[in-house]
Amino acid sequence: MKNRLLQSRLWVAAAGIGLLLSVAPMWAHHAFAAEFDVNKPLVLRGTVTKMEWINPHAWIHLDVKNADGTVTSWMIEGGAPNGLLRRGFTKNSLPPGTEIVVEGWQAKDESTRANGSNITYPDGRKLFIGSSGTGAPGDKGGDK
Amino acid sequence: MNQRTFLLMAGLAAVAPLGLIAGQSASTSAAKTAKTSADPKTPWGDPDIQGTWTSDDTWGVPFERPKQFGTRATLTEDELKAREKTVSNSEEFVETGGANHSPAKAQIDAAAKGEAPPPPPQGRFGRGVDSAPVPGHWGEFARRASHQTSQIVDPPDGRLPALTPEAQALLDAKMKMRRDPIPASYTNWSYYDRCITRGVAGSILPVVYGNGLEIVQTPGYVAIRYEMVHDVRIIPTDGRPHLSSNIRSYMGDAVGHWEGKTLVVETTNLLGDRMAVGVNGDGGAPYSEDMKLTERFTRVSPNTINYELIVNDPKTYTAPWKVAFPITHEPGYQLFEYACHEGNMAMHNMLSTARLEDKKAAAAGK
Amino acid sequence: MSNGKPNLTGLWQALGTADWDIQDHSASAGPLYQMGAEGAVPPGQGIVEGGEIPYTPAALEQKKKNFASRFKDDPEVKCYMPGVPRAAYLPFPFQIIESQKDILFAYEYATTNRLINMGKPQEAATDTWMGTSNGHWDKDTLVVDVTGFNGNAWFDRAGDFASDGLHVVERYSLIDANTMNYEATIEDPATFTRPWKINVILYRHREKDARLLEFKCVEFTEQLLYGDLVRKPSGGK
Repeated sequence: MKNRLLQSRLWVAAAGIGLLLSVAPMWAHHAFAAEFDVNKPLVLRGTVTKMEWINPHAWIHLDVKNADGTVTSWMIEGGAPNGLLRRGFTKNSLPPGTEIVVEGWQAKDESTRANGSNITYPDGRKLFIGSSGTGAPGDKGGDK
Repeated sequence: MNQRTFLLMAGLAAVAPLGLIAGQSASTSAAKTAKTSADPKTPWGDPDIQGTWTSDDTWGVPFERPKQFGTRATLTEDELKAREKTVSNSEEFVETGGANHSPAKAQIDAAAKGEAPPPPPQGRFGRGVDSAPVPGHWGEFARRASHQTSQIVDPPDGRLPALTPEAQALLDAKMKMRRDPIPASYTNWSYYDRCITRGVAGSILPVVYGNGLEIVQTPGYVAIRYEMVHDVRIIPTDGRPHLSSNIRSYMGDAVGHWEGKTLVVETTNLLGDRMAVGVNGDGGAPYSEDMKLTERFTRVSPNTINYELIVNDPKTYTAPWKVAFPITHEPGYQLFEYACHEGNMAMHNMLSTARLEDKKAAAAGK
Repeated sequence: MSNGKPNLTGLWQALGTADWDIQDHSASAGPLYQMGAEGAVPPGQGIVEGGEIPYTPAALEQKKKNFASRFKDDPEVKCYMPGVPRAAYLPFPFQIIESQKDILFAYEYATTNRLINMGKPQEAATDTWMGTSNGHWDKDTLVVDVTGFNGNAWFDRAGDFASDGLHVVERYSLIDANTMNYEATIEDPATFTRPWKINVILYRHREKDARLLEFKCVEFTEQLLYGDLVRKPSGGK
């Protein structure tokens, strides 16, 4: 499938195996193993209560309903938001109340914090696709 | 937005004069200047290199040239085609929110089936201060395929000259500390991860996001403002000398002068034995306080400045070396605040996790 | 400048003690008696027009709380960005680079900087420490309209603050070649009962070869912020 090919190509690039594509690690500033546990993958479905558009990592606050009906507040670590801001997304782009699904890894200290590796809407659509309204390449329109 | 439309727009952007996008005031005035002259000048007669520029297009070009290229600095037609494919794939990767990148779910699914999970993402160090891939939609990528086989263009093999023994020792010590499986302190991390700075070279060498800078000119000065980590250099072109060598800093002291339409910037007065000349100011041997950097900025078209950096540090490198690549103006591209230290929860979280691991190790050891 | 506008380019700095407290204040002890007189708070005449900041009753209570824990909670202690207008009256110089397009303000403290957009005004995409600045000339006065603050910066070391609804309009005008008047109108209905103004004189640095130096203070705060999370030498913890 094309998508898997894309993914593997980027992995190839990231792993530095591709000769033309060998680059400094993509993850140079996203300390993972020091904070998150590769052996604790999880999938969380919940409602956004707040998204902090801050650097060096954006944080999505998520209320997750547990099986027993209780609600747990999670903090999901994302990437740096400036690339998204350049594509026209703003602090209003992920409003409180939005339901999302987060795949990632839990914090090593077993707190309710996780690294958000893949974030989608419940129907599987990705968040933050394309551009919106900056006049940037790929823009679908807007008045800026 | 499909790939072809994107590439068409990117192509238009590449040949269009500045000033097509509303809200970009820098573009509007520059368009006026650019249209009237092949070599735009400021009203007071200096070459005009103002605007917002990014090194995004060089993201993906290896810093050091892979050995099989030898002294060849340019890709062949076929190699370029392969890189063009990667560029358009990367754009689609970002535009689609990162395709089906679900390593965490893959692990869960495998466990449910009782299968061995796919290997988790590996970093450079294996443990310690390591990190994992940034999912696609957070990243920024090249808009055009670079022709270069490497960012380093001199020595002729495109590779770093040998380190001095002293520099090698410093590098070995640094790498040993980085591999420490349970980091002891914030000093285990780079100056970038500590949100201090990426240094002069690190602020322009391309990474996966945040590759933008702004150049602002006024009579007697050229100022360069970098998005990450919100650094600024005020470069006087009035012929004044460098600061006294008793005043040193991470970004050093820069003085500039014009050679034709090229801005030549010389930087000294650096704090030594800390940062490297490399990606994010890291990834290499710490340079000495005697390092001298010489940069050249030459605007070769309305949307392109050729950038060149010569590193001279005999205490660290056995020969000078040079990096060169273009930085481009992209309509719609603007810088945003990158307040790093203010939001650096990761540093707190990583250290508290490390102390928890110390406790566990101590308990297990007993 | 050839566009007929005054050239504000230069290295500027405020005198006085507004960064300690923008309202009138007497001398007082500092947080560390070990620093003696060096660590004490100097007296100062306030820069607030009318003398008092018009807090709402609830906001005044918050200010008092801030004041009580100021030597711990002041963002300046942690080397966080100062926000606007505090950046103008910190005890550090700042460089203005005035091009005929946009205007750069580079502050020595914490390598804070911002670019004033002099073209078509842009809305803030997200909330930041230094806000989003849109500027224009009102005859010979540079007027800068700043919005999009995250509400985390303080106005001084005395705990004066505002919310993320803060709106600041700055006015920079030369009094003479080496002196500039800085006025800022501050508005935030969530915190203040009405808009209010501050006024500061900025002086040009005229020492030979005076230039902006670097005060990257993050390193000076790491022990404070992370010291208790650093591994103790064996035998401890």
